[in-house]
Parts: sequence; structure tokens; C-alpha cells
Amino acid sequence: MAKVYNWQLKREVNYPYEHKRPKRQFAVVMDLNKCIACQTCTVACKTTWTPGRGQEYQLWNNVETKPNGFYPLGWDVKLMELLGDDQRWEGEKYVGRTVLDGTDTETVIGWMPDDLDWANPNIGEDEVNKPVDVGTVLEGLPHPIWMFYLPRICNHCTYPACVAACPRQAIYKREEDGIVLIDPERCEGYQECVKACPYKKSMFNYVARISQKCIGCFPRVEQGLQPQCVITCIGKIRLMGFINTPEKAERTNPIDFLVHIKKVALPLYPQTGLEPNVYYIPPINVSLDFLKQMFGPGAERAVRTYMAMREGREPELQALLHLFGSTDRIVHHFAVGKNEVIGYDEDWKEIVRVPLYEPFQIRPHKDEKIGVVRQDIP
Amino acid sequence: MRFLLILLALVAFSSGETLVSKRIKGEIPLDPFAKVWEKAKGVTVPLAGQTVTKPMETSLPVSSITVKSLNNGKEIAFLLIWEDKTEDRFHLINTFSDAVAVQVPYRPSSEVPVTMGGEKDRVLILHWTAFRQENLEKGYSDVEKIHPNYAYDWYPHAKPPYRYPEDWANQYALAYIGGEKVFRKNTFKTPVREVVAEGFGSSTWKDVQTAQGKGVYRNGKWYVVIKRDFVVENSSNPDWGPGKTTYVTFAVWDGSSGHRGARKVLSYQWIKLKIER
Repeated sequence: MAKVYNWQLKREVNYPYEHKRPKRQFAVVMDLNKCIACQTCTVACKTTWTPGRGQEYQLWNNVETKPNGFYPLGWDVKLMELLGDDQRWEGEKYVGRTVLDGTDTETVIGWMPDDLDWANPNIGEDEVNKPVDVGTVLEGLPHPIWMFYLPRICNHCTYPACVAACPRQAIYKREEDGIVLIDPERCEGYQECVKACPYKKSMFNYVARISQKCIGCFPRVEQGLQPQCVITCIGKIRLMGFINTPEKAERTNPIDFLVHIKKVALPLYPQTGLEPNVYYIPPINVSLDFLKQMFGPGAERAVRTYMAMREGREPELQALLHLFGSTDRIVHHFAVGKNEVIGYDEDWKEIVRVPLYEPFQIRPHKDEKIGVVRQDIP
Repeated sequence: MRFLLILLALVAFSSGETLVSKRIKGEIPLDPFAKVWEKAKGVTVPLAGQTVTKPMETSLPVSSITVKSLNNGKEIAFLLIWEDKTEDRFHLINTFSDAVAVQVPYRPSSEVPVTMGGEKDRVLILHWTAFRQENLEKGYSDVEKIHPNYAYDWYPHAKPPYRYPEDWANQYALAYIGGEKVFRKNTFKTPVREVVAEGFGSSTWKDVQTAQGKGVYRNGKWYVVIKRDFVVENSSNPDWGPGKTTYVTFAVWDGSSGHRGARKVLSYQWIKLKIER
């Protein structure tokens, strides 16, 4: 068992393979304040990758309601149970248990969902955290009553539990982009990855008898394009790019800027120890206790930064959020102009230029030139 | 430590057993209840949970297996009988199939690591699975069979058991998700697969699959016959044949105990296999 450094926990974790980071690491940032659970991402993924037999309930991308929605049933509740009371942070350093600590007989602490656990992807949809009392809803923040939508894909972890658990080395992490893939020819359907993945993003296809998972749309990424779920998002909440480790963070890299510089985007359940690479901008209306459990101790700061942005005190961050959903190309660098944000490719060639404010036009009620009255519609 | 003690106890207990592959004339029947099997003497081999590499198996739903062997000069066959309270014939989500395997070293020596061989010390594994038997006998375990009342609008691409048309626009999915090899692995006309291994986690399907087999579940016991030619053309073969002596070990998977892959019970010591001329 090797020791590998996990920057999200600021400490080493156990891993069966030696420390080796890919040349670059696939990462997605999702702004949870904007997700409306329209499931366009889910459908885009489904029609592209999982329309086949045995994939009926495979949702490589899903959107669930928190805190009462799950896919598969109770996945994060189970994770919290497995890690138990031993989820301790000392400041920003995690000193508790991770799933990679394993047991005497298992490489990874995991659990196996049952068939029916996968069969209710919309369970708990739109349910709030508790019954609504009289006289509440919008009194101060965080709200006493809240819910939010959590879109999820494979986290393409730096230290994937699926890779650690597969007894056949059928799962690998690509050196060129850090995307984690199951080799369908080596997979024998033992479902060790399904059991091990704390995010439950590895799924078994009982017709093909192999496990399958989100492939990060690697054929698109190879062509410099962002994944299907990212570019089809109508709320423009997602941005895919490549993340560096904190000490190599580049201010012009949009993912680095959000995760390392502004620290506004946080990993999902970092206490798993896997260094997951989908980063969430936490919702500002949610109980901080819940956010800290889900995104680690940085949640409070992230919420404060986002609220400051809404008040106009984070113009660069606000500008960068305009790049989300603005292009299907992968944005490697960005710059903020006077009234625009510009996205660049790897070689600093311009990909896209997005205005921050559209010009505002006021037209008179009656157009004297053609003698008609305008209706009050945009 | 506890596991190691169990292991050592078993090694001591099982040493000295020899399995004789009885020479017969004519075809060896796949039927485990064929009269000819009465000619062969059975050897009972103790089994223990796989506790050498993770994930380990500490339950012991099957503690021994009885083995017989026949050969006709060209083919060798094994009859494997073990007690199993549940008949598990499906490989589904969190549902696993009963299975049994025979392991033979390429080099006829007891020094070959019993743990699926070692580097450049290859073993042949003949692996019978109940779910493949089920598919052959009662039709492929497709969606319609597993969930008969299942409603799904339309399968635009996949044809059962799992194949995408070659002209399908999404060539990436063709190569990645389904693909010819996955389809081929699921459509062999035999419940026995042949794999080679050179250590844990290295087992790989042979390109040429010729082993035959048949399993019957009766009165709480599995009776499984596994048969293969000593020498298969255009393929690699262990150094074995009539008049030779080699070694074998066995592993059993109990599906309802969640056994699959490394989670299995097995015999930890090579058993001498004397093949009659």
C-alpha cells in the first residue's frame, strides 16, 4: 500500500498504486446556484452513450434533489454511515477516515447497492429538507427551509476507488487527461468497482455483463471539445477544463481560478480521500452544516465569496461565470476585458468573446415613423 | 495471522492426495451422470476462503469438492461435485452465479505458484459458470427474460445480447461500450471459458475457446463436467497428456454468498494428477 498526497485533504492517503498524476487532469465546475434539474444533461448523456440493453437505469449523468434525493438510493447517507463519526477536519486538514483506508479483507471501504436501489432515479425530487412551518421561507440566509439540485457525473478522481478495487486491473486512468475508463474487454462484471465507488458512478450492465461508467466523453475531449452534458446545459452551469495542483495553479486557467484562486468551487465529499475532480459552487441558500459535510470546511468561504460576487465585489469571478456554456471548445485560459470575457485555447488563440452586459435599449411606446404602438413585450 | 494458520492447516491436511485420470475408450460424455464416471475414483479436496489477496473471502459456504477425471488419449475431462444449498444461475446487479474452475500449470511442477501462476509461469484455468449454462439451456438472460413486464420505448441500436450495428453513427460507443469482443464473450456456445493467468489479476481469455462442459444441479449438489483436448491446435497448451503427471487445483464460487472473482473458496495445494496411458 503506497502513500499518495491528496491536496484536497492536505495529507497523504493510502493507495494500492504509486503516486502518479496524469499529464493533465479532466475537471468540471458546476454552479449549483443555477441548476434547475431540467435533466437536459441527463438526456444528452443517455442518448449519446447509454441507449442500449441493460442500460435502462444507467444514468452516467444524473441530477438529484438534495438532501432527500439519491441515485442510487441513499448513496451518500451510506457513505456517511461508513465513514461514521470519524470525519474530522483540523482546520483545512482532514484527519478522519477515508474509504481508501480499507479493511483487513477489502482494499476499499464500500457497499453494494441492490438492483432496486438503481430503479428510482427521481426519488425525493423537489422535496425540501423539512416540513415548511408557518411564517418562514425567505427570512434571512441560510434559509431554514431549503433544497437544491445536485448534478453528478463520474468524478474522474485522482485516486479512483474503482481502480483500487478492481482485482483485474480492468480500470485505468488515462495519462493524457486523467479520464478514468473501464476496459470492456478485461472487465468480467465482478462489480468490485460498483461496490467501491463512494459516489456510485460505476454501474453494472447485466446484459453485456460488464460494468460501465461515465467516460468523460473522451472522444470529444481528444478533439478539444467539452463533454455532452456540459455543452447541452441550458442553465449554463457547467464548465469543463483541466485542473492543476494548487502549487501549480494558473490564474488564467478558469478551473484553477475557481478552485484554487477564488476557492469558490469545492469537491464533493472530499473526505472519501479520492480527490474527486468535479467541483461544485455550493448553493448559498443551504444550511452551512450540510454544505460543510458535503463539500468540506471551505464551504463557508465559498458561499461568502459568491454572495460578494452578487453584490458586485468579485467582478473577475462574475465575468468568468459568463464563459460557462458559451462555447463547445475546451477553454484553457481566460481574460477579462472592459465589458467582455474572452476564452482562449491552449495556445492562447481566441475561442470566444462574451459581453458582460448587453446594450440596453429604450424605445418609445409609439413609433412615430411607421405610426404603430409597441406592445409591452421584449 | 488467523488466515495463515488456516492455510497451513489445510496444506498439511491435503498433502499426498493423487487424482488419477482413468483411461477409457471412445467419447467422454458431457453428462455428469453417465455410467462411465463410475470407473473413475473420486478424490475429495478441502477448500478454504481466498485470503491471500484483497478482496478476500472469509465465508466458507462450500468446504470441499469431490473430483474425478477421465481421459481417452485425446481429451481429458473432470467431474466436479460439491454441495451448494442454493442454485444461482444468474449474473445480474448484485447477483452472482455459481461457478467452478480447474487450474493446470503449463509447466508440470508443483513449484508453479498455486495462486494463479506467476510471472512467466503460466496456468490454464477452465472456468465453468452456471449463468452461461443457463443462457445455453434457457435462452440468453436478456432484459425480456429478467424483467418480463419491463417497458422501454425503443432500443435504437443494441441487438440482443449486445451488439451495435456496424454502420451506427456513434463509432465511439461501438468501440467502447459494446464492441465485438464483449459480444463474442457472451455468445460462446459453451458454459466453460478458457483463461490463462500469470498471477493475480492477470487472467485473460484465450483467443481459441474449445473447452466443453455441462453442469446439473440436483438434490443440493452441483455436478459439473469440464472437458478439453490435451492439445488444442493454434493455441498454447499445458505440458500434459497420456502417461504424464501434472498438477491441478480447484476453486468454487457460491453465487448467493456474493462470490465472484477473487471472492471464492479454493484448494491451496497442488494435487498430483496422474494421467493414465
